[in-house]
Amino acid sequence: MATGPLRFRTPHIEELPTTGSKQSPNYVYMAVSGQQEDPAKNWGTNNRKRARASVGKQTDQQREALSARQQREVERRIKDLNSDYKPALEVVVPKRDGGAGVGSAAKAGKTPNTKKILASGKTFTHHLEDEEAEIARTGRRDGDAEAPPATHRASKTPLARRKAREDSSLSGSPAPVTPMAPPPLPRSAQALLPSSNAMEIDVEDDDDEYDSIPALPSEAEMEALLNAPPLTYNQARSAPPPPGAPPPRRFCETCGYWGRVKCMKCGAMTCSVACKDDHDQFKCLKMYA
Amino acid sequence: MARQKSLPSAPEASGHLADKTLIIDNGAHTLKAGLATHLDDTPPNLDSCHIIPNVIARSQRDKRTYIGPEYSDCLDFGELAYRRPVEKGFIVHWEAEKAVWERSFLHKDDAVVKCDPEETSLILTEAPNAPVALQRNADEMVFEEFGFAGYYRTIAPTLNAYAPSPFPSTATSVSGVPLECLLIIDVGHSHTTVTPLHHGRPFQHAIKRLEIGGKTLTNQMKLLISRTFDVHREDHIVSEIKEDVCFVSQDFNADLERVWRGGRYDPRAVDASLLVDYVLPDYETIKRGYARPHDPAVKLRDIMLGIGTEGGRREHVLTIANERFVVPELLFSPADIGMRQAGLAGMVLQSIDALPAGFRQAYLANILVVGGTSKLPGFVQRLESELRSLVDVDEVVRVARAEEPAKNVWLGGAGMAKSADLMRSLIVTRQEYAEHGDGWARRVFAGKARR
Repeated sequence: MATGPLRFRTPHIEELPTTGSKQSPNYVYMAVSGQQEDPAKNWGTNNRKRARASVGKQTDQQREALSARQQREVERRIKDLNSDYKPALEVVVPKRDGGAGVGSAAKAGKTPNTKKILASGKTFTHHLEDEEAEIARTGRRDGDAEAPPATHRASKTPLARRKAREDSSLSGSPAPVTPMAPPPLPRSAQALLPSSNAMEIDVEDDDDEYDSIPALPSEAEMEALLNAPPLTYNQARSAPPPPGAPPPRRFCETCGYWGRVKCMKCGAMTCSVACKDDHDQFKCLKMYA
Repeated sequence: MARQKSLPSAPEASGHLADKTLIIDNGAHTLKAGLATHLDDTPPNLDSCHIIPNVIARSQRDKRTYIGPEYSDCLDFGELAYRRPVEKGFIVHWEAEKAVWERSFLHKDDAVVKCDPEETSLILTEAPNAPVALQRNADEMVFEEFGFAGYYRTIAPTLNAYAPSPFPSTATSVSGVPLECLLIIDVGHSHTTVTPLHHGRPFQHAIKRLEIGGKTLTNQMKLLISRTFDVHREDHIVSEIKEDVCFVSQDFNADLERVWRGGRYDPRAVDASLLVDYVLPDYETIKRGYARPHDPAVKLRDIMLGIGTEGGRREHVLTIANERFVVPELLFSPADIGMRQAGLAGMVLQSIDALPAGFRQAYLANILVVGGTSKLPGFVQRLESELRSLVDVDEVVRVARAEEPAKNVWLGGAGMAKSADLMRSLIVTRQEYAEHGDGWARRVFAGKARR
């Protein structure tokens, strides 16, 4: 297309816009999958920590979660807090006169069972682990219920040759143990349980917005609940707080106020410049972290 | 599969109920023990319950070992080495526990509660969710080593149902009849448990445990005080400081602001009403530490030398500020030390949510707090306000602390021992134990076997 004045006469040429000759722009939209890295941030570092922080491959949750080492540190601190003070020298139980029995018979135990108990040096963790191991092995705790009937070995007969056996005990799992009689507390207590299923209340006309009181369980359900076997030690721990709870609060190491600034070297929190100076001088683990 | 039971001395021919009952509430910190009898009708007296430290302590300074009740005779509690027979609420080290029991009950001259096991029944408590091996050990020791005439082992919270109720509107229970609905929060030395009880029987699947107790608080207190003065080895002294000085704050954020000294560039005036000066005992002139309100005019160095103190004695003074309420705060938010468990209020709600929906209001309105650590000032108020904030507006929340939080379980046991019928239905006598064995006895205590 001629633009501007020409020095010599040319025929007037004008290009008419048609669909075919529309000039294509030098860009095009394309769908790209995945998060693109900002090339400005990725300067090709090999340090994993720096790459994690700058390129931004972590979600918020991952950033807040503690690393494995920190978690071990926290667990060790909690275990220390819950431990009795262990002195360097063990406190030996002295032999005393004036007690029930005199001499070695009394100290060691009167029967073989008690001798074993008195001589055992097991701690609570040993007993706990023993119990967990037994549950893992046999699936039940001693004294909980009668032993389940002997499980049958898996049949070695090929499937094609097995006869149909409807009445064999192979067809079902071992029969569940029926619960035994209720514990020996006064029977009169059980008579006080409400026998009716739902509470009968007089609902007045203008109380329509109240929901009905939820029904108390029936006597059979109550008995089942109260006769349930006790949980193991680890099952009875209370659960973590609901996920919507605020993050754990951290306090200043030096004075105990809120922790507002984190030490870059060891990760401890302090509240202000003065406390931070004290931390850097005396408490920072910069040599060992 | 009963083991052959060979008792050292033959049990008496008749299986009748012994006259006297020894009730031992076997805790990790102290034993609460006393005698009760079903022969007379007087209500159980708190004075007959003796608190015995459940510890064997060796003093490097005295070169003496103190067992059980002798612990209060110790003149110098500095740097004592302890051995506790009870771990995490369960009797694990029977050698030490036998020494404590013998010293407390069987000593010829100086027993705290004199009793003859052959003629006494025993009610022993344990913490909930015990490993079975420990239960078996306890049963065997009681019958075979000590030779009690009768025995009943139960978890500690169930006995609370037989103690008089602290709620003003609930009628006092007749001895032997348990209260109907109770949610027991036992804030003990090793841990805190929540147990809902129905007519004295626990809902086993709803028993929850928080691993924070008086011991955790004392250790945390040691850590915090050691920022200024190293007290890591002074268990007894720090425990006394905790009992004298700590309280539960009703508004934690506000209290923390009040005692902050401020930053370098914005110093603040500290609210001195919350500060406390604690005078440490030196077991020469000062036998027992005590607290006094903070006096900023006093110069610590002068006091150390004895200048300006009463009688010219040397005082070692610690100033305790936010540790007073930060340490008990652990019970309500264990996440402060990184523990991934819900606080006390959250745990109570977890336990109530595990119950049938119809009982929710009944248990929310009957929460009983027992246990030594619950004596912290402001504990009940703070627990109640936290629960109320987590629960619907139209649900009633009532929290009460027993009159004597440490002795309440014993009181319940004594109330139970007063009723001869109840005892007859519960106690396993020596003769029965010898006949049927320990497995049967364990099932009877768990309620799984018929008697």
